[in-house]
Amino acid sequence: MSDWLRYLFLFVIVVLLQVIIGNNIHLFGVAIPFFYIYFILRLPLSLSVNWVMTLAFVLGLTIDIFSNTPGMNALACVVLAALRKPVLNLYTPRGEDYAEAVPSIRSFGMSLYVRYALTLSLCFCAALFLVESLSLLNIGRLIARVAASTALTFLVILGMDSLTKSGREKRL
Amino acid sequence: MRNLFDFLWRHSSWIVFAIYVVLCCVLLFDRNPYQRSVYFSSANRAAVVVYDLKSEVSSYLGLRKANRDLQLRNGELEMEVVNLKAQLNNYRSAVGKDTIPADSVLHDYDFVVARVVNNSVAQINNYITIDKGRADGIEPEMGVVDQNGVVGIINVVGEHHAVAISVLNPKLRLSCKVKGSNYFGSLVWDAVSPRYAILEEMPRHVEFAPGDTIVTSGYSSVFPEGLMVGVISDYKKQRDDNFYALQVELSTDFGCLGYVRIISNRMKEEQDKLEKEARYE
Repeated sequence: MSDWLRYLFLFVIVVLLQVIIGNNIHLFGVAIPFFYIYFILRLPLSLSVNWVMTLAFVLGLTIDIFSNTPGMNALACVVLAALRKPVLNLYTPRGEDYAEAVPSIRSFGMSLYVRYALTLSLCFCAALFLVESLSLLNIGRLIARVAASTALTFLVILGMDSLTKSGREKRL
Repeated sequence: MRNLFDFLWRHSSWIVFAIYVVLCCVLLFDRNPYQRSVYFSSANRAAVVVYDLKSEVSSYLGLRKANRDLQLRNGELEMEVVNLKAQLNNYRSAVGKDTIPADSVLHDYDFVVARVVNNSVAQINNYITIDKGRADGIEPEMGVVDQNGVVGIINVVGEHHAVAISVLNPKLRLSCKVKGSNYFGSLVWDAVSPRYAILEEMPRHVEFAPGDTIVTSGYSSVFPEGLMVGVISDYKKQRDDNFYALQVELSTDFGCLGYVRIISNRMKEEQDKLEKEARYE
């Protein structure tokens, strides 16, 4: 139960971070930090994919409502949620079992978590900006936006994870 | 049958994925952005609360720039005041006559000065009676102004008197705009206070701020463009969210109208005839 509350709290925090701060940052005109995908990355691996996708959809739609882009963030979030397990399987050596883990630097180790977060940030940004550019396609700008936003989002996720780490350790 | 359920169960995540993707696409490719539900836009109550709080905080951030802009604007306005004072002095010499010939900007318009003999502000439909009539060249649908701003429009004309519909009358809709922009809305009195009227149907993307001047748009033949109406005191969104309704503090003090000027447009007949032809063509 308290886990649920903790995730609800995290949900609210990432939504507020995104709509109040994230959506107003356009670093060099291209890079937008996506705070809120940290919520999806953080969901426990024991949670079924269907639940992860449902939560991702709700989260994306919430962001959409705030930024007047119905469907756009939700679609990218659902894609991200679906790719979470396959990406992890790609990087984990056979035999190592993370099935019950909550993804974080502490449980994964730095190198695996970096690969995990970076790949998923890239997938998310690619999906989001592809959907966005359906209305106005500009390849060069699209690539710049995806690359810059991926980098910024990745940094933000690392930062958020190291902030939540201390609390996690106390509980364990 | 059982195999079917097994199959569905095993692939449930694909099915759930497909459902969400389809849902997102339905939202994305909704071709009717204006009929979009208010719940899916930032106009819903929760989003508004968050954004209000945010603007409370962030409105302090741009103060330095805002201050500089205001100083610039102040300088511009001071220059304008100087210029206008010079023009005013030119007019002063001509004021002796009842009919004031207008200068180059207003060359299509004549003014007739009249005294207000009856006036009301307390009712819902307010009218103003003046002491000039057909004998002095007054016709229906001429504009009435005083030194502060727009007063009303002539409605009924007698031989030596005329009645004007006051701006303080919901039957009068005045085409107005924010000074310096070309977007117009219609000013209508909401029968609440004689000091305020509402400027409706101002498109949402028009930039304005409380304190901006509202002037006539010149889109009707009644008033020339740029006559002072009032200043914006407040604004709110209208029902359908794409327009603002501005509360305008009227510059005219309807409580103590003394002398007013009636504007006659020499080109009015021609303009009306043209517009009528265009309408029935």
